[in-house]
This record gives sequence, structure tokens and C-alpha cells, in this order.
Amino acid sequence: MHIPDGFLSPPVWATLDLTAVPAAGYMVRRAQREFEEKKVPLLGVMGAFVFAAQMINFPVGGATSGHLVGSALLSFTLGPAAASVVMIAILAIQSLVFQDGGILALGANIFNMAIVGVIAGYLPFHLWGAGRGRKAAIFMGGVFSVLVAALLAVSELLISGIAMSGTVLGVSFGLFAVSALLEGAITLAVFQALESLNPHFIKQPNADRGFALGLTALAAVSLAVVGVLFASTHPDGLEKLAETLGIATRAKPLLASPLADYEAGFLPSAWLRKAGAGLTGLGLIYGACALLGRVVGRRRSA
Amino acid sequence: MHHVVLERWSRGSSFVHRRDARAKILALLAFLAVVATTSRSFEWLAGFYLLLLLAAVISARLPVAGALRRAAVVLPFSLTFAAISWLSGEPRHAALLVGKSYLSALAALLLVSTTPLPQLLRGLDTLGIPGFLLMVAQFLYRYLFVIVEQGRRMRLAGLCRGGLKRRSGGFRAAAGALGVLFARSYDRAECIHRSMVSRGFQGHFQLLSSARFGFADAAFVCVAAGLPLAASLAARFRG
Repeated sequence: MHIPDGFLSPPVWATLDLTAVPAAGYMVRRAQREFEEKKVPLLGVMGAFVFAAQMINFPVGGATSGHLVGSALLSFTLGPAAASVVMIAILAIQSLVFQDGGILALGANIFNMAIVGVIAGYLPFHLWGAGRGRKAAIFMGGVFSVLVAALLAVSELLISGIAMSGTVLGVSFGLFAVSALLEGAITLAVFQALESLNPHFIKQPNADRGFALGLTALAAVSLAVVGVLFASTHPDGLEKLAETLGIATRAKPLLASPLADYEAGFLPSAWLRKAGAGLTGLGLIYGACALLGRVVGRRRSA
Repeated sequence: MHHVVLERWSRGSSFVHRRDARAKILALLAFLAVVATTSRSFEWLAGFYLLLLLAAVISARLPVAGALRRAAVVLPFSLTFAAISWLSGEPRHAALLVGKSYLSALAALLLVSTTPLPQLLRGLDTLGIPGFLLMVAQFLYRYLFVIVEQGRRMRLAGLCRGGLKRRSGGFRAAAGALGVLFARSYDRAECIHRSMVSRGFQGHFQLLSSARFGFADAAFVCVAAGLPLAASLAARFRG
């Protein structure tokens, strides 16, 4: 789901652009360190492959079919940092050349799909990709890469004040779940085909990771996502809080200066509160990702 | 394929085409930011913004109807959300979504249809985007059409053999096809690299003409960013 311009409110896209810049910079530096200059054509051509993968339909049953989204598969074959760079390049080309996704919203789309989506898709493989649960880890990677990106996109739209009723949200979550499961199945099938063609296509993770560590990391990521989603789907609580606080702030100026324009005074504060909640949630996710990246990086180099 | 149109448009020559890529990028960002922050009296301002964009389209000698149609690719998405917003009892928000997304798409289209992609990426490079990322984007764009065409041929070949249907294990067949496409792309990337190195590739692309940010470019930024900003501020203070 590529968010076009005009959908996100200014504080949301501004924050996400500011978040995406250092995150993308970090991914680019990591990818540059892992890949010598020789591999630049490889990354570009793999991006073209992801575009071309849309040409091949996977029959699901009935008349419906799906196609590969690809961020999880890229991270298994190129490594997460390079996969992230390829996804960023894809999103940039899509928004510039095909008007698929906005320019100001590019930061949001990069954050959802190329940063958090890729990390969430790679995490299960990194943790269990060498052990017994390998197939499950690959499947889960595909599922997470789509699901996490879609949930983030919906929360950003909700924080931006786009009204969605409960039924709409329910239907879209159902659709997300189906497409995420489909992505998992396609990722696993293509992964197996690749491995039988040439095992060197796959970047094997080092060894089987601790179960507890993996579970904690997964729980942290999903908690962060669900937390933001919950905060944005239940504005009632937030609004109620704003209302009570608004009444409180309204009461004071009423005493201090009876001429205070409290209608205008109240609105920006509610807006600020909403934006603040959004920013805090995104900051939390960013912190979690940064921490995770640091830990993963240290383990890799150790 | 439809992007060929964009290639042809971007190689035209007009006042807008000749402006430095950086000037056009800055103007686009300013325009998009103004559109995104407009909410009061949007109906009037949207008309004004549209007139500005149309003036730019005409002065760039682009086909007006074609440009308007191409920018409409954003409409299915925004109309869906507009319908959702409308049904939730916010018709004004719905109109804002459609208007803003269409104007933004048209503005972005104006940038890419008056700037060849190599120049655009070079402009982004001088504005501080990492060169590594831009190289990847450049390669992606150069080989996009080659690999997509290959994918299309493979689908055709599969259909000719009666495959890619559910009954005959089509899911696994499709996965195998993608695996083969992946392997071919991988091989192609290595071929590309070898032949580029043998022709003296230094690790970055050379541009034939050097870009210069001149007086006309500065004036272009001032007009293209100033007019919508002034209109938006005027509407804000009057309202």
C-alpha cells in the first residue's frame, strides 16, 4: 500500500521523513560496507526483478491470484541492509516515475516497507533460519513483511485524521491478513525453488539463535506496532483525555482573562496532543528498531 | 509500455525543461508542502494551484490532456479513501483527499516529465542523497524494462504450456518461474558489471553536460514556490 501525497497530515509526514532519512542512511552505509562497488548493478537488477515479479501470477483458487511483494525474499538473498536499499530505490522509482506513492509521503512509505517491513520480514529468518523451524521462519518472514507495513500505513492514516469506521477497519485487516499469508506462502515457495537452483543465492544466517531472545524481539516489534495501532484506532480515549484536559485548560484562562479565545486555544492543543501521541509512538518504534539494528550489527561483527 | 511516454516527454526542450534539476526539485517540494498544509478555503486555492500547474504544463509543451490523464493514476486509491471518509460523515475531508492527492501527483508528474531521470538523480545527488542509493536506483531504472519484458515472456511461455493454473500445481510452477527469473537476473547483473568494467566504468556515471544553477533557475524557484505560498497565506489571513 503506497500512501499518496495529501493523505498524511503535515506532522505525520514530516516526522516520518525525518525518521526515514537517518534510518535509510544507516541502511545505505551498512549495505555499502557489505557489498563492494561490484555489486551495485546486482542491487539495481534485483530491484528490477521485484518489479518484474508482478508479471507472474500465483493462482490461489477461484479466479483470484496474487503476486510476490518481495521484501522478505530480498532480505534472505541479499541481506537485510541491501534489501532495504533495494526497496528504497524501488519506492523512489515508483513514486517518481509511476506516481505510485507520494513524494512527501515517501518517507512514510520507506519507513513502513523498506525499513520496518524489511526488518520485520528478516527477523524470523535471522533467528531461526538455520535451525529446525526454518520453513516456518521463512513463511513468517513473508507474513510479517506485509502485515507490519500495512498496519503501520493504516495507523499513520488514522493518526492523520482519516475517519474509518469499525467495519472498514475490520474488512481491511482481513484483506491484510490474507495478503500477508499469501506473501508468506509465495516467499516460501520461491525460496525453495531458488535453493534447489543454486544454494548460493541464499545468505545463510550464522547459527540457530536462542529461542527466548527471538521471542522477546518479536514481541517487542509486534507490541510497538499493535500499540500504535491501538492508540490510533481508539481515539475515543485520547479524545476523552483531551476533552478533560481541554476543559481544565479552558477553565483557567476563563478565570484569568475572560476575553481568551478558548475555541482556538483548545483546538491546537488537541491537535498537538494527537500529534504528540503519534510522534511518541513512532519514536518508540524507531528506538526499538535502532536498538535492534545495533544488537544485530554487533552480533554480526562479533 | 506507458513509461516510454515519460521518456519522450522528458527529452523535450522548453523553458521548464532547461531549468536545473535542483531548481525543479526544490520548487516541487515547496509546492507539495504548501498544498499539504492548505485546509482553509481549499476550493478556491485548489483552482489556483491547478491553473499554476496547467500553466507550467503548457509552457513545457506537454500534452495537457495526456498529463491530466497520467496524473489520474492516483485517483483509484484516493477515491476509495474518499468514499470511506464520506461514509463516515466527513464529505469535506473526502474532497480534500482527492484534491490534494491529484494536485500533488500532477506536480510530481511535471517534474519527471520535464527532467530526464539521469539529470534528476544527479540533482538529488548534489542535494545530499547518498550516491550509492542513487546508483542502485539508476541501475534499477535502466534494467527495469529489460527484466519486466523477460518476466512477461516467461508468463506467456507458461500460459502456452497450459501452466500457471491451480489444477496442475500452478503455484509451484509459478514459484519455479520466479526462481528462474531470479537466477537469470542475477546472471545478467554479473554480465552487466563485467562489460561495464571492461569499458572503463569507474564506479559512477558520467553526465555529458554539467549542470549549473543560474539566475533563471533561482527565479523559477522563487515564482514556482512563491505564488502558491502567497496565495495560501493570503487565504489564511483573509479567512
